[in-house]
Amino acid sequence: MTMSFIDRRGVLKAGGALTLLGSAGAFATQLAAAGEAAAQAATNYKALVCIYMFGGNDAHNTLLATDTDSWGRYFAARNIGFSPIALMPPGTAPTPIGQVSPVTGRVSQPYTPESWGGVLPIVPATSQPVPPATSATPPRTFALHPFLGPLQTLFNSGRLAVVANVGPLIQPTTKAQYIAKSVPVPTSLFSHFDQQGAWQGGTETPSNAGWGGAMGDYVSGMNGANTVFTAIAPSGNAAPGGLSLFLSGLTVRSYAIATGPIPADVISAIQGSSLLTSNLAPSTIASLIQPTGSTSNMINDYGAIVSRSINAAGSINTATAAAPATNVQAAPAYTNPFNGVSSPNSLAQQLQAVAQQIANAPQLGVNRQVFFVSIGPFDTHHSQNLGQPDLLGQVAQALAYFDSALSNIGGADLRNVVTTFTASDFGRSFTMNDSGTDHGWGSHHFVMGAAVKGGDIYGQYPTIGVDAGSFYNPDIVGSTLIPKFSVDQYAATLGTWFGVSDSQLAVIFPNLKNFDSANLGFV
Amino acid sequence: MLGRTNGGFGDEWFPRMSERTSNSLAPVGLAALAVAGAVGGAAVVSKAFKSSPLGAAPSSVSPASAARFLTQASFGATDSSIADVRSAGIQGWIANQQAMPISGSHLAYVQNRINSRRTSPNKAAKALLFNESFWLQAVTAPDQLRQRVKFALSEIFVISILNATLQYAITGAANYYDILAANAFGNFRTLLEQVTLNPMMGVYLTYFANLPANPATGRHPDENYAREVMQLMTVGLYKLNQDGTVQTDTDGNPVATYSHDDIAGLAAVFTGFSWYSANPVATGPNNTFYPKLGLLPVDPAAIINPMIPYPVYHQTTAKSFLGVTIPASTTPDPVGDLKIALDTLFNHSNVGPFFGKQLIQRLVTSNPSPAYISRVAGVFNDDGTGVRGNIGAVVKAVLLDPEARDDTVATSATFGKLREPIVRVANWARAFNASSTTGFWTVPNTSAPMLLDQTALTAPSVFNFFALGYTPPGTSTSAAGLVAPEFQVVNEISVAGYLNFMESVITIGLGSPPPGSRVPDIRTTYANEVALANTPADLVARLNLLLLNGQMSVALQNQIINVVSSVSVPASPPAAIGTALAQRVQLAAFMTFASPEYIVQR
Repeated sequence: MTMSFIDRRGVLKAGGALTLLGSAGAFATQLAAAGEAAAQAATNYKALVCIYMFGGNDAHNTLLATDTDSWGRYFAARNIGFSPIALMPPGTAPTPIGQVSPVTGRVSQPYTPESWGGVLPIVPATSQPVPPATSATPPRTFALHPFLGPLQTLFNSGRLAVVANVGPLIQPTTKAQYIAKSVPVPTSLFSHFDQQGAWQGGTETPSNAGWGGAMGDYVSGMNGANTVFTAIAPSGNAAPGGLSLFLSGLTVRSYAIATGPIPADVISAIQGSSLLTSNLAPSTIASLIQPTGSTSNMINDYGAIVSRSINAAGSINTATAAAPATNVQAAPAYTNPFNGVSSPNSLAQQLQAVAQQIANAPQLGVNRQVFFVSIGPFDTHHSQNLGQPDLLGQVAQALAYFDSALSNIGGADLRNVVTTFTASDFGRSFTMNDSGTDHGWGSHHFVMGAAVKGGDIYGQYPTIGVDAGSFYNPDIVGSTLIPKFSVDQYAATLGTWFGVSDSQLAVIFPNLKNFDSANLGFV
Repeated sequence: MLGRTNGGFGDEWFPRMSERTSNSLAPVGLAALAVAGAVGGAAVVSKAFKSSPLGAAPSSVSPASAARFLTQASFGATDSSIADVRSAGIQGWIANQQAMPISGSHLAYVQNRINSRRTSPNKAAKALLFNESFWLQAVTAPDQLRQRVKFALSEIFVISILNATLQYAITGAANYYDILAANAFGNFRTLLEQVTLNPMMGVYLTYFANLPANPATGRHPDENYAREVMQLMTVGLYKLNQDGTVQTDTDGNPVATYSHDDIAGLAAVFTGFSWYSANPVATGPNNTFYPKLGLLPVDPAAIINPMIPYPVYHQTTAKSFLGVTIPASTTPDPVGDLKIALDTLFNHSNVGPFFGKQLIQRLVTSNPSPAYISRVAGVFNDDGTGVRGNIGAVVKAVLLDPEARDDTVATSATFGKLREPIVRVANWARAFNASSTTGFWTVPNTSAPMLLDQTALTAPSVFNFFALGYTPPGTSTSAAGLVAPEFQVVNEISVAGYLNFMESVITIGLGSPPPGSRVPDIRTTYANEVALANTPADLVARLNLLLLNGQMSVALQNQIINVVSSVSVPASPPAAIGTALAQRVQLAAFMTFASPEYIVQR
C-alpha cells in the first residue's frame, strides 16, 4: 500500500522507545525475579506448533501407496477428465513441456503431473500390512508428492513421521457401522466450518474451545507472569480464513502477533506525552478504550482484547527486537515451480515468527507454548493441479526451513523441544469430479521434530480403491476414507509429550476412552 | 446531551399506534405481538408496543431515534439523512428508499475506469477499481438502504476477489455486486437463481463446466456449490423452527437438514452449466464449454452474462435431495432440473428463519430473540399478500421490528453487534461529509489485520469474514452462550490496527494520494464540527448524535469534553485559532471512534 497512512515504522520507533522507558523498571524487576525460572526454561521448554491447512488437503495426492494393486486403482481413478490429477509413478523423469509422456501418452503441458516427474519414495521403518483382497506383495511401498522433496529428506533423516488415515471419530467406526448408522459419528462431516471445529477442538466440543488452548490451560502455570504468551497465532497478512479455534482454552486465549520484526501493533495515540497538543489525551484515550464496567457484554469483551493488546505489546516487541530473536534464520522466498516466480512464503514467515518467540521464551520466562500457523486454500474442487502442488511445495519448504531455524536458536538446537504437526479440515474424495476432488473425512498428516520417532508411518495405511465387482474396500465408503485413528488420539499423543497428564487429557477429550490407545507412539 | 434517552418513543405514541391498524405494515406489528405473546414475552411486548414507531407521525421521530435507525439501515447517519427520516418517518423513509432507483452500476464504473486508461491495469489495480466503486456508492449514493442491504447480501451469498480467477475478471465481480443491488428488495427466488447462474459464483464455487457422473471412471459431479448453497445461503445445517431454534430428535441431538446423499443428489443438478456464448459449441476443440488455461472463458461477455446450459453435459440419472426426486430421463433437461432444485431450496421451511436471522445479524443485533426471528421469518413466508421470499418486506420487518426499534431493549447486556470495520470508516466519511479529491474514492485494500481486516467483496472464504455462529472464546458473550460473528476479525493486532488506521483517517484523510500529491484522496474540513469546537459540550453532543445515536455514556462524554477543553484556543491569529479548533474536533472524533461504546452498535 502507499504510505497515505502514518509511517508505521516511525510511529513504532517513537512508541517503542517510550514504552521501554515506561516499563523498563518493572520489566527488569520481573526479569530478576524470574531469573532462576528463566534459567531453567532452557532445559524445561516445550512447544507444540500446529500447521493448519485450510480447506481440506487431498491426502490421496500427498502420501501414496505405490504397490501395484494400490497404484493401479489410484491411477485409474485419477487419470481421467480434461485435467487429470493422477501423479506419475516413482522414478518417472519429468516430461519436458511439449513432449509425449511415456506414462500417459499425452503431450506434457504446464501444470500437469507429467511435467513434474514421479512421486518420491519413502521407506517406513515399520512394514505396513498388506490389505486383504489386494494383490500387493509385501512390503507395501510408499511415496510422497513430487513437490514434497524436503519432507522426503526430513523423513529419511528421522525427524518426520506420517500418521495415516486420521480424522474426527467418536469411537472406532467400521464401514458397516457407518452405513448402518449404528455408531455415532461427528456431526456435520464434510462441512468446512464444523470439521475445522472437530480438528481444532476435538470431537466433543466443536465450538467453544480448541485443544491447543485447553492443553495450554494445564501448563500455563509454568509461564509465570507471562501466561498471555502461552498460545500465539502469527497471523500473516494473507491468512486463508476459516476457524482458528485451536488456541482458545478456558483461561488461555489466542494471542495474535504479526510476522516480521515487530510482532505487536502498538496503539500510537496512547504512546506519546500528548496527542494533538493535549497532554490529557493519551491517558484518557488509554482509559476509554479499555472499559470494564459497561452494561454491554460486547463492549466489555472488546475492551478486554484491547487491554491484552496494550499489556503484551511492550514486552514482546522489546524481546523480539534483540538477540537471540533477531538472529533467527530468515524465512526463504518461495519459487513457484510452475512459473519460476519468487514470492514470500507466508507459512515460512509465520514459522519464523514462531521461532522468534521460541527464542524469546527464556527472556519472557515462558516454558510451554502452543502456536498456530496456517496456509491455504486447499479446497481444490476444481483445477487441483493449479492449487495443491504449489501449496504442498510451500508446506515442504516451510517445514524444512523451520527445522533448520530451530537447529540454531541462540546457539542451541531446540528441535528436540519443539514438535510440529499438520492438521486440515478433512481429506478429500478418492475419486475425482472434473478436475479436482470433493470433501472427505480421513487424511494423512505429518509430525516433525527431533523428539518424533520419525522415518515411519503410524497407523494403518488404508486400502486403496472404490468398491467394484468383487473388490470391497473396508476403508472407503463411497469415495470417502473412514479414519482409523481419531483426531483425539493424534492430539493426546502430542499432549502427553507436551506434559499434559492422562487425567487432564481425559477431560479435554472425553471420547478418548472409547479407543484402545491414547498414545499412538509417534513422539 | 443526555446519556441514554428513550429516543423520543414515549408513552404518547401508544394511542396513535392503535389508531393506525389499517396501516399497510400493521400485519407485521400485529403478528409480532401475537408471536411474542405466545412465547411469553409479555413484558417485552408492552415495551415494544409503546415504543414502536409504526404509528408515529413523521415529525415525531427524535433525532437520536432517526440516527439509531440509520446506523442499522445505512452506512451511517448524516445531518440530511436524519432530517429525511424525521420528515418521512421511519416507515416512510424505508418506502422512499425502496422506491428509489438504483444509484449506479459498479460494472459500468469499473468498465469505464478500465477503458479510460491507456494501458490495461494489472489485476491488483483492477481489484482496487471495484473498491473505488464500493466506496463511492457506500458513502455518497442516496439509495443508502439498498447499499447496506446489498453489502449484507454480499456477506451471505459470498464470492471473493481473493480468488485468483476473479481478480482477472473484476468486471464480473462488479456485475455480481450489481445483481445483489438489483435484488436487494426483490424476491429471494430470483436472487437465488441469478446467483446460481452467475459465472463468478460458478467460478468461485467451481461448478461451471461441471461434468456428470461417470460410473466407468468413478467421476462424480463437483459438490462444492450444492453443499454451500444449502449450508450457507438457504437452509443451513439443522432443521429450524420458524423462530430459528434448532429442532432436536428424541435424544436431544440436532436434526440435520441434509445428508451427504442430498449433497450428491443436488450436485448432479448443477452439471452442464458453463460459459455464456452467443454461439455455444459443446464439444470439439472450439468448444465454449471448458475454460481455457487460467479458467477464463473464451468470450469476455461470458464473465458478465449468466451461465448457459450445455445439455450434453447434464446428468440424466435420478437425482434425490431434500425429499424431492427428479426421475431419470433420457433427455437431459438442465433448465427444468435447476428449476426443481431452486424451487425446493426456496420453499424449504428453513429459509425464512435462516436468511431472516442473518439479515438481522448483519443490520441490527447478533443475538435476536426467537420471537424476533419468527416475526421476520413469517414475513419471508408471506409478505401479507401471499408472496413468499419478498426481500424488501423482510428488510422492512427486520428494521421495523419492536426489538430493533425499542431503546429499552438496546440497553440490555446482550443486545447489539460489533460494527464491521469498513462500516465504521464509512460512518466517518458520511458523518463528516468527506469528499474525494479525485472523485475516484481511491481506498486501498484494507484487508491486513494492521489495517481493517476487511475489504468489501474480499472475504477469505465462502464462510465470509466471520462465521454465522462464531463466538469469541473466553468472553462474557461466550459465557452467556451467545454469538458475536464480527468478533472473528477482532484480535490483539486488529484492535490496535483499527485505532492507528482511524487516527490517520481522522487527522490526515483516507485513501491513496492522487498522482503528484502527498495528501490522501478523501478528506473533510469538519466544517460543522469546527463551528462547535469553542463549546466542547455542543461538539460532543453532535458526535454523540451522528455516531452514537445519543447513546454515549455520560462518563465518555465527560472524558471527551475534558480532553477537548484541554486544547486551548488562542485569541489570535486566525490561523492558530483554526488549528486549535481543528485539533479539538479531531480529538473528539478520534475518541468517539476509538470507544468500544461506538464500536459496538446498540
